[in-house]
Amino acid sequence: MSAAPTEIAIHREGAERMGFFTDTTVCIGCKACEVACKQWNDLPADGSVFRKGMSYDHTGSLGAATWRHVRFVERLAPSAAEREDAASRLAAGGGGGVPSLPVDGGRWTGDGGRGTVDSPGDLDLVALAESGAGEEEGSGGVDVAGAVAQMDRWLFMSDVCKHCTNAGCLDACPTGAIIRTEFQTVFIQPDVCNGCGYCIPSCPFGVVDRDKIDGRAGKCTLCYDRLQDGLEPACAKACPTDSILFGPYDELVDIARRRVAELHARGIDGAYLYGAGDEPQDQLAGGLGAFFLLTEAPERFGLPAQAESPIQENAPVATAAGLGAALAAAGAVVATFVLSHRGGRRR
Amino acid sequence: MSKRRGSGGSAAEREGAAGGSGGTRDTTPALGTRGQPGSYRRAVEGAAVALTRGRFGDARWSYLYGRDTSYAPEAAVDGQVQSAARRMRGGEEIPDTVQGPVIKPAVWTWEVPLYFWLGGIATGSSFVALGCDAAGDHSSARTARMVTLAAALPSAPLLVKDLGRPARFLNMLRIFKPRSPMSMGAWCLMGFSNLAGAAVAADVLGRSGTARALGAGTAGLGLYLGSYTGVLLASTAVPVWARSRVFLPPIFVATAAATGAAANRLVLSATGLPSGHPTRTALGRVETGAMAAELLLSSGNEKRPGSAAWREPLDQGRPGQVVGARRPGATPGAQARRRSGAPSRQRAVPRRGPRFPLRVGGCG
Ligand code: SF4
Ligand code: SF4
Ligand code: SF4
Repeated sequence: MSAAPTEIAIHREGAERMGFFTDTTVCIGCKACEVACKQWNDLPADGSVFRKGMSYDHTGSLGAATWRHVRFVERLAPSAAEREDAASRLAAGGGGGVPSLPVDGGRWTGDGGRGTVDSPGDLDLVALAESGAGEEEGSGGVDVAGAVAQMDRWLFMSDVCKHCTNAGCLDACPTGAIIRTEFQTVFIQPDVCNGCGYCIPSCPFGVVDRDKIDGRAGKCTLCYDRLQDGLEPACAKACPTDSILFGPYDELVDIARRRVAELHARGIDGAYLYGAGDEPQDQLAGGLGAFFLLTEAPERFGLPAQAESPIQENAPVATAAGLGAALAAAGAVVATFVLSHRGGRRR
Repeated sequence: MSKRRGSGGSAAEREGAAGGSGGTRDTTPALGTRGQPGSYRRAVEGAAVALTRGRFGDARWSYLYGRDTSYAPEAAVDGQVQSAARRMRGGEEIPDTVQGPVIKPAVWTWEVPLYFWLGGIATGSSFVALGCDAAGDHSSARTARMVTLAAALPSAPLLVKDLGRPARFLNMLRIFKPRSPMSMGAWCLMGFSNLAGAAVAADVLGRSGTARALGAGTAGLGLYLGSYTGVLLASTAVPVWARSRVFLPPIFVATAAATGAAANRLVLSATGLPSGHPTRTALGRVETGAMAAELLLSSGNEKRPGSAAWREPLDQGRPGQVVGARRPGATPGAQARRRSGAPSRQRAVPRRGPRFPLRVGGCG
C-alpha cells in the first residue's frame, strides 16, 4: 500500500516507504522518545502540567512543539465482566487473572512460592514478592480476587503523526508547504508554510497544530533530515525497549502481524493493529505510515475508531451542493428582479 | 569537513568524544550553524553524523527483537489481524474512558467569521447587480457593483491578518491546488475582487456595457466565492461541520443572498431610491426568500435523523448559546433538554467544540 505516485514530490533512486510500528505492549513510558525528538529537532518544552488527579502524564498532547507524545492511559478499572470472570475463575481454583497461583476460594494460600509454578512462563512476580517477604504461614493471606478486581492497568502509547496514505493535512494545505517525500512521509516545509491553519482541523487525528510564537504549523517530520542521511529517526533510536520500530513499511507490517499472532497465542485477545493490515474498507486514512499495536479500544488512547482524509471524503459532495445552490440562488435572484420589475411596470 | 566524517567511531575516538583522555570534544552541529537560527541545511556540506551506520543500519539492528527471540515468531493466520482490528474498532459501543480531545480545534480568530460575512455580502450583491441589469435598472446595478467591491475589498486584508505568518501571504498563490478548498478560495477571491474593481472602474469611466459584462463575470465567480466557505468548513474533521457537508454550503449561499440583498436595500434607500420602487420590492423578496431558505436548511440539517451524534456543540457552551438564541422559540430549558445522546463511533468526537458557531454566515 502506498500513496498516489503523483503525490510524491521528491524522487530518489531506491527510496521506499518508511514508517513506524509502535508496539504499546512493550512501552515502559520512559518518554525518552519525546525527549530525543525535542533534542534533535530543537523544540521547546510545552510546559509540564499535571492535570489534577487525572494522570501522571504531564506533557499534554501532540502539538506544534511536541511531535512525539507518550500518552498515559490510567485508571482502567477492570470491567464488571472481567471482574466476574476473575472471581469465578478464582472460585474454581483457576487463578483468574494470575494463572496457576495456589488459591483456595479466592485466598492466596501461600506455601512460600515453591513448587506452585506450572512452568517458567507462569512465573508470577507478585507471588514471588509475597513469598520473598517471608510472610508467615496463615498470617492473613492476600485476597487475590480482590486484588484482581481492584487492579488498575497502566498503558503507555507513544503517539506521533501517522503519516497517512490519505493525509488530510496534505490535501488541505493551500500553499503546497505540506509535501510527500521520497519516503512517502508527510513533511511540512518550514520555509513555505504561512500559518493559514487549515491543516489543523483537517487532521482527523489531531496531530498538527500552529505554534503560538512561530506562527507556522508543526508536526513530526519522521526525521526527514535524518532519513536523507540513512539514519533512523531520533525517537526510534532513543527508545530503550524498541517499542518504536522504524523500517521499510512492508517489513514493519510483517513484523507487526506476527506480533499480533504471538500476543493472541499468549492469550491477549485484545491485541490489534491500529492503521495497518486492514481490508480496504476498514482502512484508517488509506493506511497509516506510522501504525500502532494497541490492546484497548482506540478511544482510550484518544484515537478515532474510523478516520479518512476529510477533504477526500467531503469536498466533492460539498462543492457540488454549494455550486448547485449558488446557481439556484443566482437564478432566483435574477428571476425575482425581472418579475418584480414587470409587475411594477404593469402597476 | 567534519573531523570524524565516516569514521564509524573507533574506541579512541569515542573516548575523545566523551571527553575522556585529552583532545577537544567535537560538538560541530550536524545541521545549521552554531549561534544561527535552526535550519535543515548542513553546516558542512556532505557531512554525516558521527558514528552513523548509514542506510538505516541502526534501525535493522535490535538485540531485543530479532527473528530468534520470542517477540514475534509466529506468522498470523489468514484474516486474524484484520478481524482483531475490526473487533476492537468496530461496533457502536464507546468505552467509558475516552481520552480527548481527539482532534485539534481550528485556530482561526474573529477575522475569519467577519470575512465569511463580508464575502457573503459581496457574493449576494454581485447577484443583485446581475438581477438589476437583467431587469433593466442599470443605476441600481451600478450601486450594487460598488457595494460588491466595498465588501470584497476588506476581505483579503482580513485573511492576511489571520495568517500565522502574514508576511508570507503570497505563498497562497504559489500553487493552484484544486484539491484544497482554501487554495481555490484564495484564487477565487483574487479574481472576484479584481473583476469587481474593474467593473466599478468601467462604471466610473462611463463604459456601462463593459461594466455589465464584468459584473456578470463577478457574479459568475461569486457562485464559488459564496459557497466555498461552506465547503472549506465541511471538509474538515470537525464532526459538526463535516456531517453537515450537504447543507453547509447551501446555507452559506442563502445567507450570502440575504445579507447581499439587505446591504443593497440599505444603501439604495439611503441614496434615495423611493419605497415601492420595483428594485426595492425585489430586494425585500430576495431577502425574505433567502432567509426562509436558510431557516429551512439549517433546521432541516439539525433535525435530520442521526444528528444527535454530532450536534452536541450546537447545544452547549458559547456556540450553543449563539445558535440557540437564533433558533425561533428556543429557551435555555429546551436547550438543556435537547442534550444529545451517546456520540456515534463512526468518526472522531471532539471534546472541545468548534470555536465559532456553525451558522456564522447568518450573522447578518
Ligand atoms: S493528517 Fe494528521 S496524522 Fe495524517 S499525516 Fe497529516 S498531520 Fe499526520
Ligand atoms: S521521527 Fe523525528 S520528528 Fe518524528 S517523532 Fe520521531 S524524533 Fe520526532
Ligand atoms: S516508546 Fe520507547 S522511548 Fe518512548 S516512552 Fe515508550 S519505551 Fe520509552
